[in-house]
Amino acid sequence: MNTHPYLRAYMAGSAVPTMMLVVVLSGFLIARYTFQIPIPIERAIVFPMALVPNIFGLWNMFYLWLRPRRHLPIGFHGALLPFILAPVGFGLATVLGFLAATSGGLVWFHQLIVPYAFLALGFSFALIAYYLVWKYIVGFFNGVLGIA
Amino acid sequence: MTEQDQKKIADVLKQTLRPVNRQPGRDLWPAMLRRLEQRPASKPWLAVLFSPASLASVPWFDWALLAALIIGLCIYPKSIPVWLYHF
Repeated sequence: MNTHPYLRAYMAGSAVPTMMLVVVLSGFLIARYTFQIPIPIERAIVFPMALVPNIFGLWNMFYLWLRPRRHLPIGFHGALLPFILAPVGFGLATVLGFLAATSGGLVWFHQLIVPYAFLALGFSFALIAYYLVWKYIVGFFNGVLGIA
Repeated sequence: MTEQDQKKIADVLKQTLRPVNRQPGRDLWPAMLRRLEQRPASKPWLAVLFSPASLASVPWFDWALLAALIIGLCIYPKSIPVWLYHF
């Protein structure tokens, strides 16, 4: 299987967030209808549904392109992705009206206050999560599709 | 080369080459069945991903990172919607 390696890389990369979409949507529904958190699902789902899978696929294509030139382990390559996704996600959430920056911290969905002190910690957790997901799951799919 | 020479060569070849045995010397089907049974069954990808062999190959450092992640979520569960949004 030596044809279309970039297409396979795109599919392997976008498979993980696409599968996670069910979890994301279920989580949003539970948060909204069980815990009464006013999440505007129709707006909040845009980022995880439309952008994240595509960016994962493109990032995996970039990994494949980069491999013969400057090889970085796939876990570290994936851990760099939050540096792109976090600003895009924050920007989109602000534009769509469910994230506001106040003096006390970031207010998500008009209810969840995340103090600024927690932002660095949260971001480092995001790096860890992306490192693990890329190393073990995207790496596995790359192996299955013959581009590992 | 005359026609007689050609006939002589054909006769010599017939005498030299052994007749081809069109039937195999033994029944090959049981060996084929054994070969098919030896082939590993294709497992579902989820079973391969979480198989004991692949879990055993995960270094302790990555287990520690996963534990830190889970503990962080347990300490601050309100962040779960934000996590869901970013994945």
